[in-house]
Amino acid sequence: MLVTVDATRRRRLTQIILLVAGLLVLVAISAASIMLVDKARDDSSLVVHTVEVENQISGVLLEIHRAESAVRGYLLISEPAFLTQYETAVIASRGTVNRLLGLTSDNPVQIANGNELKAAVEKRLREFNAEMARLKDNDRQGSIDLLRTARVAATTQRITEITDAMRREEDRLFAARTISADRSQALASVVTIAGSGLVIALAGLSIFLVRRSSRARDEAEAQLRDNNLNLETTVDERTADLREANEEIQRFAYIVSHDLRSPLVNIMGFTSELEELRNDIFRRIASLSRAASPDTLAPENVTDSAEPVLDGPDAKLSEDFNEALGFIKSSIGKMDRLITAILNLTREGRREFKPEKIDVRELIETIVATVAHQAAEADAQIRVQPLPDIVSDRLALEQIFSNLIDNALKYLKTGVPGDISISGRTKLGFAIFEVTDNGRGIDAKDHQRIFDLFRRAGTQDKPGQGIGLAHVRALVRRLGGTMSVTSELQAGSTFTITLPLKWTLSTRGKNT
Amino acid sequence: MSTPVTIIMIEDDEGHARLIERNIRRSGVNNEIRPFTNGTEAIEYLFGPDGTGSAHKNEALLVLLDLNLPDMSGIDILRRVKENRFLKYAPVVVLTTTDDEHEIKRCYELGCNVYITKPVNYESFANAIRQLGLFFSVIQVPQATT
Repeated sequence: MLVTVDATRRRRLTQIILLVAGLLVLVAISAASIMLVDKARDDSSLVVHTVEVENQISGVLLEIHRAESAVRGYLLISEPAFLTQYETAVIASRGTVNRLLGLTSDNPVQIANGNELKAAVEKRLREFNAEMARLKDNDRQGSIDLLRTARVAATTQRITEITDAMRREEDRLFAARTISADRSQALASVVTIAGSGLVIALAGLSIFLVRRSSRARDEAEAQLRDNNLNLETTVDERTADLREANEEIQRFAYIVSHDLRSPLVNIMGFTSELEELRNDIFRRIASLSRAASPDTLAPENVTDSAEPVLDGPDAKLSEDFNEALGFIKSSIGKMDRLITAILNLTREGRREFKPEKIDVRELIETIVATVAHQAAEADAQIRVQPLPDIVSDRLALEQIFSNLIDNALKYLKTGVPGDISISGRTKLGFAIFEVTDNGRGIDAKDHQRIFDLFRRAGTQDKPGQGIGLAHVRALVRRLGGTMSVTSELQAGSTFTITLPLKWTLSTRGKNT
Repeated sequence: MSTPVTIIMIEDDEGHARLIERNIRRSGVNNEIRPFTNGTEAIEYLFGPDGTGSAHKNEALLVLLDLNLPDMSGIDILRRVKENRFLKYAPVVVLTTTDDEHEIKRCYELGCNVYITKPVNYESFANAIRQLGLFFSVIQVPQATT
């Protein structure tokens, strides 16, 4: 039992641990996923940022070239459209450079590069401005010269270098950021897959454990059912055995008491025959002794059945003979009464009870009426209190109460008016009856003994076999009840009988 | 009595048989008494070698029957006697130790004429038998007819 309880506790603990572990894994996966997705979004926004920066770099270069070509176009044909174009390009290139600076403000390398670029672009714009100023002053040649100077080319070269540097930097960042984004994505999928696998494994383990424990429970239930069935069968078998044994005992008692009677008839019969013979023998002795002593007067009718006149040792002999015969006869009488009692008991034991509604008070009053004569002789009054009605066997109840009332009348104190009272009450589906007397009482050491067959207590001055109470108790038990006595010597007795209010055939085994 | 009645006494206890016989004699009945100590011999005698009972068709019989026999129940003998057309008129007196009401009822149902319980008290016993003797002397036992 202890092992099973331990195992159950362990199993329950394992399941709880599994559930908690599964939950933790799920939380971890969720947290990791959220984190990684966040990181991936950051990574991709950085990649976009890089592309944007490169775009702006190209934009700066484009605007510078546009400005340059507008200057050259203006230089060639002095078309005012080129002038407008130039001015637009100058504004656009400044805006682009500023935007580029804004975008790269997070990177110190690019800030430095951006500032350099800005300076270069400004320088180049100033050169354009100078060229345009000369052109406006119609100093075409001066402008061309200015264009030819190596400084202009150097500035353009410088811009190209700076932008190239910026591009390289951005490419490097791009590559780094792409790798980082890939890595976080890979990590995310690894975490998800591993977590899912772990969750599935835990679920599998849980299912396995649940199934194992439910199988164990099913087995235990089946075993319990089997055990119950076995128990019922065992109880039925035992009950049947007991009933059989009981019937066997009753049959045995019946047969034995019957068969004992047969030889008893012979013993009694031939004892009586012996008695007859005794008379003949002693008559003969008397006549012979008289014949031997001629002094004695010869009696007239010696052959009469009257007691022969004997004297001296013959009379003693006759007395001894009579005594022996007397003991034999009284013993036979006693034995016959015992056998009859046993027979009656077995006959009672085999009688089937018929439950019926009984007005107990009426039943007891009938009994009291039949013992009225004895009660008057014993100077006793019998008081019947209100009693509860019960469903039981009428004959059994009659025997129970008439035995108890008989006993109460029989064992009154001499010289004291008897007072016998029968009362009753109900309690928890049982009726409790009490037969109380003010008689001679029973010593506490005999309280058990008086219920034994052929046992009696107190002064043996009343006839009886010692059967009444044994019989009453057997009947009470068969009726599914109990009985007890409270008594003290010289202080009266109370016999208490508890019987079910409603006795049915199934209340108790038929044989008790 | 035109034909002397033969008393068939089926009693396994020889002591009982002796006591019964003595008391019958004491009551002044001097008819022949045939004692049997077991059922088989009694059946053999009653029903004859052919088993029909015709051996006694012109005799007057009276059966004194004990129920507790070593080899069979007296009730079986009673039933067979009362079912036989030659023997059914013979009075049957059941004399036994059993005073069970069912048993007594059953015997009368089967056609027993008198049921006597053997009392242990010898006075009662002797009285019962003597009265039976008187009864024997007054009853007319019909002859078994063909």
